This record gives sequence, structure tokens and C-alpha cells, in this order.
Amino acid sequence: MTAVQVLPERQGTATPLLRLVGVTKTLRGQQEPRTILSGVDLTLHSGESIAVLGRSGSGKSTLLSLIGLFDRADGGQYMLGERDITRLPERRAAALRSSEFGFVFQRFFLLKHLTAAQNVAMAMVNGQGWLPRRKRRARALAALDQMGIAHLAKHKPPRLSGGEQQRVAIARALVRDPKILLADEPTGALDTDTGNLVVEALRAATDRGCGLVLVTHDHDHAAKMQRVFQLDHGVLSEVAR
Amino acid sequence: MRLSGRLRSALIIGGQGIRARKLRTFLSMISLFLGVLGVVAAQAGQVIAYRALVANSELTRGVDGTRSVYLPPVDGSSEIVMDTIRGRDDAVALLSTSAVIGEPNVRPVNEGASPIGGGGGYGSSMVCDSSGDCVDPNEGKPSGQAIEVRVTALTGDLRRFRPLHVQSGRWLDFAGAPSLSPRLVLNKAAAKAFTMFQVPAEMRVQGGIANSTPRFLGVVDDGNSQPQVYVRSDELLNWLPVDVLSDPQFGSALVLAAPDATELIEILKRKYASIADPRMGDLYVETISAEDLMPGEIQMMRWVFLGVSILVLLIGSAGILNVGLATVGERIEEFALRRAVGTPRLLLAGIVLAETLLTGLLTALAAIGAGIAGLAVASRMFGDRHPLLANVAFPWEAGVAGVAAGLVAGVLGGLVPAARAARIPIATVMRA
Repeated sequence: MTAVQVLPERQGTATPLLRLVGVTKTLRGQQEPRTILSGVDLTLHSGESIAVLGRSGSGKSTLLSLIGLFDRADGGQYMLGERDITRLPERRAAALRSSEFGFVFQRFFLLKHLTAAQNVAMAMVNGQGWLPRRKRRARALAALDQMGIAHLAKHKPPRLSGGEQQRVAIARALVRDPKILLADEPTGALDTDTGNLVVEALRAATDRGCGLVLVTHDHDHAAKMQRVFQLDHGVLSEVAR
Repeated sequence: MRLSGRLRSALIIGGQGIRARKLRTFLSMISLFLGVLGVVAAQAGQVIAYRALVANSELTRGVDGTRSVYLPPVDGSSEIVMDTIRGRDDAVALLSTSAVIGEPNVRPVNEGASPIGGGGGYGSSMVCDSSGDCVDPNEGKPSGQAIEVRVTALTGDLRRFRPLHVQSGRWLDFAGAPSLSPRLVLNKAAAKAFTMFQVPAEMRVQGGIANSTPRFLGVVDDGNSQPQVYVRSDELLNWLPVDVLSDPQFGSALVLAAPDATELIEILKRKYASIADPRMGDLYVETISAEDLMPGEIQMMRWVFLGVSILVLLIGSAGILNVGLATVGERIEEFALRRAVGTPRLLLAGIVLAETLLTGLLTALAAIGAGIAGLAVASRMFGDRHPLLANVAFPWEAGVAGVAAGLVAGVLGGLVPAARAARIPIATVMRA
């Protein structure tokens, strides 16, 4: 089991945003069971940014899926604040995904038939509470403005560049003021300059107290995070800097 | 509040989904449209036919709930009716006989009061005595300009029980003093007869003591194809002894009473029992019920039509199901994304169901609109030839049936895609 990696200055401070203790995940298909994560320990505090590096198939995305409650761990413990959410029913997991997490993916996942503003607002039309249309639109525009693309609010995704699309996706992830931002290779489909802009936009979210977990292949982008982890054969370890 | 938010979310996202796939939605609506239109047409046809039957029944038998008492002619029965009904407003007596209007001592053009211009006739009204010997009252008479009509003498305003439609002129006035010149209101068949034949104004009532000079007041639609005239009983009885109407050779009596006229009917029964042969039993009292009017043929046609419509509806549902499954397949990423941002599985299923329900509802509204327009066109084009279609209003029951059919098809077609949408795994999709 990997030892819990906590920055010295964080020790003894407030309750972490999330804490994974000895988390394991094994894929069971038609073939032999394959261990993806093996005793992963991870702690994330408010305003902290973490990068997870690793080769393809090392389990980075699986780790993000477990943190984001897309999937469930086979073993170990998952604490969100002071709540143990290791065995959370799907209905409550959906509510937490809405209120606590923001997600950014490599492929943007914008809905082509909606405008940029509507794509951002769709995170607020999810059955978890209700906001009137005017308020939804105002918040969506504010989130787009934060990303510097408010002028593209009425544009549909096919008319946006890759960088613009990813910034719309980040605006969508931030529009509900999540406590934890999860980004799965968000620069994978972008050129270097645009990728840098996107990473900077993600990192800026931590200034407002949001915790960030960035899964990436790019060491330069990882270096911009406060802590860097390496995932290798299901084992997570912090990279000394 | 939460339910409301989820419902609104489902409707908003469902609406966006429909707008994004207009052509596909339209194509899935086509077969469903035919099915819903079939249901609407079946229901509308049945309701219209039923309304026509009820309307005809109201004209010929009486409105729903009316109590109808037929008094078989025995000595004194007509007197009993007249004595009992006189001065009451909760019942009216109809005393029937026949008369010939026109040239005296001739054979009328429509012996037996048969319809004019209908081809053929009923033949002469034979008069039979108690031994069974019958004679033709017109035997040996030359053919002439005279018309035989059925005569119904009324003790009060019949229209409370049978809503006869005045076509022209006016209805009988029961308030004033009786006239020695009987005032007649003709039905349409009689009016047609008197339009075709010019006849002298002389009326001979069977069993009458003398001929009278009638006056025509107006024309009503009573749903009867036989020439028929309505007259105040007191005006007819100036020329006809009331006991003649108790003679089975000449007349019969019918009483129509309000639903609550139980006491009157009991009085009639007691009085009738005092004069009738005990072997004839009690008077038969029938309560007219609109419920009993649905003939088996219409019921069967309705079921066959509905059966075919349901089949087409199922095909329409299969179309929605097919399109729904294909759409869910295409929208896996969208649904996974929606789950990722916190949309519960149930709401995802609700979104898909909302789309199919909206599609079904839109289709139903289109089919109902087509039904209303089709009925209006049919009424305008064929209303003259088919009275059933004249001035007919679209029945609301057909609209309700159409909406229900559209929603049922939406549910049937949307359930499986909804279940699939709810089962989409986020992790697998978002990792791809």
C-alpha cells in the first residue's frame, strides 16, 4: 500500500476535501481479473492542485472515475470531507456529482445542437434543484466570461476552435461552483499554446478554493500543479520535487 | 419543488432533443399520425352516429328518462286518458288515428298513409270488425286528389318530450280557445305530399261525425317518413267522438310523462285496470334510455375500426421505439455527460420519455386537427346528402381518445429507449 502523501504544511490543518485510503479496483470481464488500482491513498485539500501522471492504461482515468463517483471502488475507503462515501447509492452519488464536482474531459463532450451558453447551462438543468431560465443564463454567461469567451455565448460548438470548446467545457465544470475539479487529459486534443491556456484556466480555479486533480501525460503541465503523482501498475506515488 | 424541477428539466431537455432532430421526429410521427387519426375517426364516427341515433330517438320516442305508457284500445281507454291528463303539465297524451285530406269519396294517392314518392305504397287501410271480417273503405272509389295522413291529437305541448324541430311556420298553440277549423302542423313527409298535390281543404277523420276544414300552421321534422299531422286534441274532438279513439279499428293512445310522474302513471294503471280485461295484465310502462340505443352493428364496427387503429398505433409505437433506440445509441455521450454533471438515472429515463411523449402529443394534436378539418370539409361537401354530417360538431370524446392514444404510443415507444438511456455507464463512455 502506498503511504498517504500529505504536504508538510497541510498536516494538522482543516479537514481535506477528499481522502482515498487503500482504494482498489479490479476489472472483471470475460478474461482474467485485472487489477487497475492497488491500495491507492490520496488526499486533496481546498485550493490544492494535483497532477497524476502515468502511461496509457496505468489507471489514471479509472482513478478519476472513482474520485468523481462515476464508478465504485472494490476496496478501501473514500472520504469526502468528513463523510464516508465509499458505498454511496447512485441517487446520492448523482447529487454529489452535481454539487461537489466539476469535470473536464479530453474530448470536451459539448452538445452540438446547443450554443456555448446552453452547453454551460446544461449543468444546471440536471434535476438537482431548479434555477429560473434567466438566472441560469446569467450564471452561464458569467462562467463564460471567466474563461474570456463570453462573446462566443451564442456560438454552437462546430463554430468554435478546440481551445474555445475546452474553455466552454471548463466554464460548464465551474458554473455550479464545485469544490473539486477533475480534469482528464484536458489538453490532449490541443496544441501546446492552447493547452497552456487551458491548464492556466484550470489552475486559476484553485485560487478560489477549488481542489484540482489533473490527469495528464504532459510533464510541463503537471509541473504547474502543487503536487505531482505517478501512477504505475495501479500504484500511486508522489513524485518528489 | 424537486419533482417540479425534474419535470421541468425533462421537458426542457426533451424539447431540445426534438428540436435537434426535427426530421427524424417528423418521420417517426408519420405512422403514428395515421394510427391516432384512425382512433380519432373511430371515436368521432361512433359518437356522431350515436348522437344521430339519440337525436332520432328523441324525435320518435322521447328524450332520455321519459316514461312512455301505451294504452291498448279498449272501451273507455281514450276517455280515461283525456280525463287523467287534462290540465297536467308533467305529461302529454298522443291519440292517434288517420285522416284523408282532399277530395271527398276518392281513393287517396297514398293509401294507408304511405310515404309519397317512395315507390310503392302500404295499400288501403282495411277496417275489420270483431269477427275478423275486413273491408276496404276505399273500395269502388275512383282515384282522386286526396292524401291520407296519420293524425296525432295532442293534449299538450309534445316538444317537452320530443324536441320536434320547426322547419317553417309555427308550432301549435295550446293556450287559446280551440278552433272549429282544426289547426294542423305537418311533418316533412306530409309537407312534401301537399307540395306535390294540390288538394281541397277538406279533412275526413276515420270515425268522424263530419268533415272539417283544416288549416296548416307549420312544418316540423319529426323523423317520420310517413305523412303525419299534429293537432290539438280538443280541436280534433270537435269532429270526432272521443270513444272512437278507443276503437282498435281507428285509434290508439300513448302517454308520455316526466320521469317523476309516478303518481300519474299509478292513477292511469288503476283506471285502466278498472275497464280492461284482467287477462291483459298491467299497462306496460317503458322508461326511454339513451344508453340502450347503441345497436350491435355500430358497436361491432367501432371495435373493428378501433382494432385496426390500435394495430396501426402499435406500428407507430414501433416506429417511435425504433427511432428512440437509434437516437439513444447516438446520444450515449450526451447521456453519459448528463449523468456526469449530476443528472439522476430516473431523470435521464424521464428525458427520453418526455421526448416520446411530446412526439406522441404533437402527433395526436396534428391528427385531431386533421380530424376537425376533415369533418368540417365532409360536413360542407356531403352535409346536404347525408343528414348525419350536416352541421356536425367534432366530438370532444374523439379529441380525448386521440390525445390518450398519442400518449400511450409515446409511452410504449419510449419505455425501452428510456431504460437504455438510464443504464448508460458514465465511466466507459467518458473514457473513450
